[in-house]
Amino acid sequence: MRTITRASTLKAVLLAGAGLCIAGTADAAEPLVKACAKDGQFIIGFSQANNAEPYRQHVNDELEAAAKEVPGFTLQIADGAGNVNTQTSQVDNFITQKVDILLISPFEAAPLTPAVKRAMDAGIPVIELDRKTVGDPGKDYTAFIGGDNYKIALEAGKYTAKTLLPDGGETAVLEGLPSSTPAVERLNGFKDGVKENAKIQVVAEQAADWVPDKAQVAFAAMLQAHPDIKVLYASNDMMAAGALLAAKGAGKDVKIIGTDGLPGPAGGIEAVAKGDWAATFTYPTGAKEAIEMSKKILLDCATEVEPTVTVETTAITAENAKQLMGK
Amino acid sequence: MSDEKISAAGAPVTAAPQKHRDPLALIVRFQSLIGLVLVAIGGIIFSPRRHGEILFLNPDNIANIVRAVSETGIIAIGMTFVIITAGIDLSVGAVLGLSSVVTASMMISGGFGLIPTILAVLVMGIVFGAIQGTISTRFRLEPFIVTLAGLQAARGLALVVSGNQYINISYGDGPGLAPPVFAVLGERLFNNTVPVATLVFIVFAAIATIVLNTTRFGRYVFAVGGNERAARISGVPVSMVKISVYAITGFAAALAGIVHAGQFNFGSANDGMGYELTAIAAVVIGGTSLFGGAGSMVGTVAGTIMLGALANILQLNNITPAMQLLATAAIIVLAAVLQSLVRRREGLGR
Repeated sequence: MRTITRASTLKAVLLAGAGLCIAGTADAAEPLVKACAKDGQFIIGFSQANNAEPYRQHVNDELEAAAKEVPGFTLQIADGAGNVNTQTSQVDNFITQKVDILLISPFEAAPLTPAVKRAMDAGIPVIELDRKTVGDPGKDYTAFIGGDNYKIALEAGKYTAKTLLPDGGETAVLEGLPSSTPAVERLNGFKDGVKENAKIQVVAEQAADWVPDKAQVAFAAMLQAHPDIKVLYASNDMMAAGALLAAKGAGKDVKIIGTDGLPGPAGGIEAVAKGDWAATFTYPTGAKEAIEMSKKILLDCATEVEPTVTVETTAITAENAKQLMGK
Repeated sequence: MSDEKISAAGAPVTAAPQKHRDPLALIVRFQSLIGLVLVAIGGIIFSPRRHGEILFLNPDNIANIVRAVSETGIIAIGMTFVIITAGIDLSVGAVLGLSSVVTASMMISGGFGLIPTILAVLVMGIVFGAIQGTISTRFRLEPFIVTLAGLQAARGLALVVSGNQYINISYGDGPGLAPPVFAVLGERLFNNTVPVATLVFIVFAAIATIVLNTTRFGRYVFAVGGNERAARISGVPVSMVKISVYAITGFAAALAGIVHAGQFNFGSANDGMGYELTAIAAVVIGGTSLFGGAGSMVGTVAGTIMLGALANILQLNNITPAMQLLATAAIIVLAAVLQSLVRRREGLGR
């Protein structure tokens, strides 16, 4: 296996060498995509981790809207359906199709790493969205654009410590699908954030696999065991919605915090505006930034791009929710 | 000595010559091969082209198709045995997850070598399957229920073993690292053409074909599924055969789990979710009857590859995943309807 990897690297180097000779510009920085052109037609392949999650559908929608603004861009979205094997095969399909840029939100990091390497070896720039594969942006893949799960949950924890429960009290966490990277990061982020206030205890944490029905059941049980829970941190908006039903059912006034800040009638922004939840922390999609970067590479013949673009979270609270609803 | 009686017991359903007279039966017998050929032709016709090259036939693309189906294919091979005995095994996807987690954690946190790890995981799969088979036969429970419980148990165990974390596999020498040779499962051999995962699938399929078609055990499997009472009277060790087929699916799921861990350098309790359904679909499309007593390994392999090729051509043409699901649904229904028609003609079905 070592030899194969080395052979393909060698091949890539030789091909790159040949390309340089033809171009005759051995020293000048090469554009990331040689076929770049102001008025060219380009295919952008987006390998999505799992369309079944509303957040990911939201990413798809924003990407489609942003890509539509650029006349020469055609966006193709493949749904990995929450399965690393399916997603790997879809990335390979994009390589076969020779898409001009690969955007990817890997379902899990390590399993998709070899597929991303194959795309890079085939000369396709890879922009990773929201989730990373193993390695360094700018080297093992072209760039990473996304939010920081840990930091977002940390903000939610600090907000709880300072604003919601300055006098302390019991809190609980609904975790995403156990074993998945963002679930672990958001859980740890919140727990670290509330540490700012020593009078706060996290009395319960349960996994609800990102879905509202499981969240409702889990939070109802938590409220039975710990009737004094004052704040619930839900690792995504859908679980926050389920938790709200449980709190109403138990007749408890619990302050609920969501994560993602999805738009639309079922999303977190509206729930905060209506006063159902205390807050939600947006998880920025990075869609606009990804299309902007694609324009730089494909239309403006960029020779390099920012390897890491961190899109900041916005805290959506009663103060700004109504105003953000229209957006 | 008892062979004659057994084949007599299995005769109404397994006797091939009679079937061949019915053209419909002939179509059903080879339905997945026919389906595979049709999908391949469709793939060639509808394939996007680049500089005249048909992308669908690009060697990398073919390798991608057969690699992507190798895990569900390995599971489907095991599932074929179970379904021929008129059983079902819903636990396989979860056992794959458990196996990939155990593989990763034995090598990374346990410091075990490659060979002991692989052997232990395979034995674990066999034992897991055999326990399900034993419970099902001993207490006369529907395998559907027993393996549904098995699915939950395997996912639960996988979460316990992994401590709710995914386990990355890093390579190198020394404790806490997997030997680099394990990563070969994610590579291609023979001048970078044949994915190793596919080789495992094909070798396993070949062995399974021989076992099913040429050994006494294979005849027992058909006999139990064709008519369990007749088989019992003829002296077939029915319980033993049933327990064995679940041990085989357990082994297959464990093998697929090892392949999964090696391909993706990773063990997660969520691996293989829903694979049981893809595998059952491939087996049914392959012409194996859910009523038991009839089925073929070649059909299963063709059915598996057909589903992979279909997904591939739809993606190459940028057709939405919704359409992929609908197309798969239509094919499953078509395969089942064809089977039922044949059964009715033979006076077996209702």
